[in-house]
Amino acid sequence: MRLASLSGRKWKGLWLPALLLFVFSARSAWAQVDFTGEWSPRIYNDGRDVGDYTGIPLNEAGQLRAEGWHPDQTDLPENLCRPHPYDIGLRVAPSQLYVSTELDNATQQVVAYHFHAYWSDFRVWMDGRPRPPQYAAHTWSGFSAGKWEGSALVFTTDHLKEGYLTRTGVAISENATVTTRVTRYGNVLTMVFVINDPAYLTEPYIRESSWVYDPQQFIPPFPCEPSPEGTILPAGSVPSFLPGKNDMLTDFAKEYGIPPEAALGGAETTRPEYIEKMKHMKTLPRTTTKHYVRQG
Amino acid sequence: MKMQIHRGNGLARAGRIFVFTAAFSLLLAARLGAQGRGQAQNPAARTPRAAAVKDLTGYWESIVTEFWRYRMMIPDKSDYVNVPLNPEGRKLADAWDLAKDQASDDQCKAYGAAGILQVPGRLHIYWQDDSTLRVDADSGTQTRLFHFGGMAPAGKAPELQGYSAAAWEGGLPDSQRSGGGGPVLPREAAGAAGAVGALPQEVGGAPLGFLKVSTSQMRPGYLRKNGIPYSANATMEEYFDRFSEPYSGDSWLVVTTVVTDPQYLMEPYITHAHFKKIPDGSGWDPTPCRADQPR
Repeated sequence: MRLASLSGRKWKGLWLPALLLFVFSARSAWAQVDFTGEWSPRIYNDGRDVGDYTGIPLNEAGQLRAEGWHPDQTDLPENLCRPHPYDIGLRVAPSQLYVSTELDNATQQVVAYHFHAYWSDFRVWMDGRPRPPQYAAHTWSGFSAGKWEGSALVFTTDHLKEGYLTRTGVAISENATVTTRVTRYGNVLTMVFVINDPAYLTEPYIRESSWVYDPQQFIPPFPCEPSPEGTILPAGSVPSFLPGKNDMLTDFAKEYGIPPEAALGGAETTRPEYIEKMKHMKTLPRTTTKHYVRQG
Repeated sequence: MKMQIHRGNGLARAGRIFVFTAAFSLLLAARLGAQGRGQAQNPAARTPRAAAVKDLTGYWESIVTEFWRYRMMIPDKSDYVNVPLNPEGRKLADAWDLAKDQASDDQCKAYGAAGILQVPGRLHIYWQDDSTLRVDADSGTQTRLFHFGGMAPAGKAPELQGYSAAAWEGGLPDSQRSGGGGPVLPREAAGAAGAVGALPQEVGGAPLGFLKVSTSQMRPGYLRKNGIPYSANATMEEYFDRFSEPYSGDSWLVVTTVVTDPQYLMEPYITHAHFKKIPDGSGWDPTPCRADQPR
């Protein structure tokens, strides 16, 4: 009886919506690259040591800032729960990633892509909203506006707080911008980060990370509260090295047999011809050839 | 009885509407799909060269910004940090003997298909013919051929560079993306923003898609110069993407590589390599395969 009631005249009013439903569902099946869901990191982050600035196109100011960094700075109360800026937050373990969309209720168009990782949480605005003014606050996530370039989502992030390019003190300034290119290759999601920081870099610094689709993944919450236990340093001073006084700066170069000059980075060190140049540089006596063991 | 007749007529009519709607949708989707592939005019009739979604040709130079100590130097024996080797793979890596490699006739193990892009150097990419993209590497003086529409020939002996089947993938116009309104800032807006530094120019031309290369039939080789092995059972997928870096306008080629090797790896191993476009081959520096040199 119910079937009968759907037949006949009432179908005349339904054929147009049905047609539209088919048309738009058919279109959406191929018109989008779907980044949403859970992504498990395959970053193989190269766990840098103090004094390892290899491959980073640092300028003199960047090298000085990096050399002044002391590892005990991470034990200052104000740094215990300090988040990473968005890009390094996506690179340091654990960096499980969850991507979702935020839709406009009325149009169902994507307003933003929401990227959430253990250390990092940010939105890429896709609705053409203007960037914040110059005086707007800088945050760990910054402000990201994106657009599609073919099959890649490209977004530029600015309004970042000063942070680090590595966990071992290579600084990135608050004036840095990062352009990120996200591409899905089957079940692999690759992000290319192009970091531009005139304060500390002589040229844009490019690096990549990849994730593998993993719908079973669970991202734990990240509740962080400074605790009086552990190795917290008392407030009031900031451990650091004055220029030329960093007594651990050459440890990395010695352990790996790298010319100390090369370990300090710079654009020249990233080019293939630098291999020949290194042959004429002095290395320090190696202290070990098993350094990698502690990295697992 | 009357009701049954009425139901039958209604079902038949509903069926006709369903068929019509489905057929119309398919036709429309196919038409939009054709537009979505860049208004390709009968793409099947175009050669892979003509149908290229990106121009990868030219000279490219490695820029080693990551894993520097594994690439610009010969890493220490047994330093396979970050490589998901299984016990058999570790055993082989632990047994690596540089002197033995040097003494052998084959010093090219780290210059095979799964390792060559990690070796610092330059690439020259060009079309050998309308359906074969050729990649010459000056490090180790190697050549890889990417065969479009080709299949790995059966029974062929494994080779250092294996057999690579290539296809253009991706490539949907921006107008067919959801949320395409977001800007990459034009330079005048960057000037107004002032303190946020040099923001990028909008990338013009918005090239589409990427190149996927699937490689098999490889001879055993090294993933890194320090003897981290891949076997003859390994297969590899690579994704080549070219884009303009927004700050300086330089062109970059980024390759994401996924090596699968059930013999020596616990899971697929993903690496990246990036190359900057250089004007010409004036820096071309062909070297022989050298087991004791980074390139």
